[in-house]
Amino acid sequence: MVVDARGSYCPGPLMELIKTIKAQPVGATVDLLSGDRGSSKDVPEWVAKAGHELVGVFEEEGHWRIRVRKGR
Amino acid sequence: MVLLSPELSKLHAGALMASVAASSGMTVNVFASMGALGQFRRQVVEERRFVVDEVGRELLAKDVPLFHRMLADARDLGDLHVYGCAMAADLMGWRDEDFLDLVEDVIGVAAFFGKSEGAQVITI
Repeated sequence: MVVDARGSYCPGPLMELIKTIKAQPVGATVDLLSGDRGSSKDVPEWVAKAGHELVGVFEEEGHWRIRVRKGR
Repeated sequence: MVLLSPELSKLHAGALMASVAASSGMTVNVFASMGALGQFRRQVVEERRFVVDEVGRELLAKDVPLFHRMLADARDLGDLHVYGCAMAADLMGWRDEDFLDLVEDVIGVAAFFGKSEGAQVITI
């Protein structure tokens, strides 16, 4: 599942991720695409707090890909 | 979260923090009073009569989802409530129906304290 939140300002990408991950089963992987500078630091913080797993933060051309696995 | 300033950028900051907190599982009670309450009126939002500084101008120019949108979305995602201040409403002659549906109720300070007992209070 890919959530494309490019073009959205903080906390838009995070909110999109939260919305999507709620609807997914445990173990599902979600890729968040974000061009917002804050998200690459903000999202991992939220992921850890919310009990999910951060698979990785990948810098791609002009945006970040933040991969998260739903933990609970 | 106590919102006092009518300035768009400050409402934005408050709504941003409140919505992230609510989406992260925290209970958030927003109390809008004084000039901030006026900005929760339908007419102000519809006519986009916001009070803006340089950041507020950019929020409007870049069509960023504004405070009321963020709070409405967060209310769907988590445990977030928005209350209007009865004193400011009475003083200004604003009626309940003047406010956005987002404003759940118009209450006094004592009622707000009751809801926020033991909680951290942030004032903007």
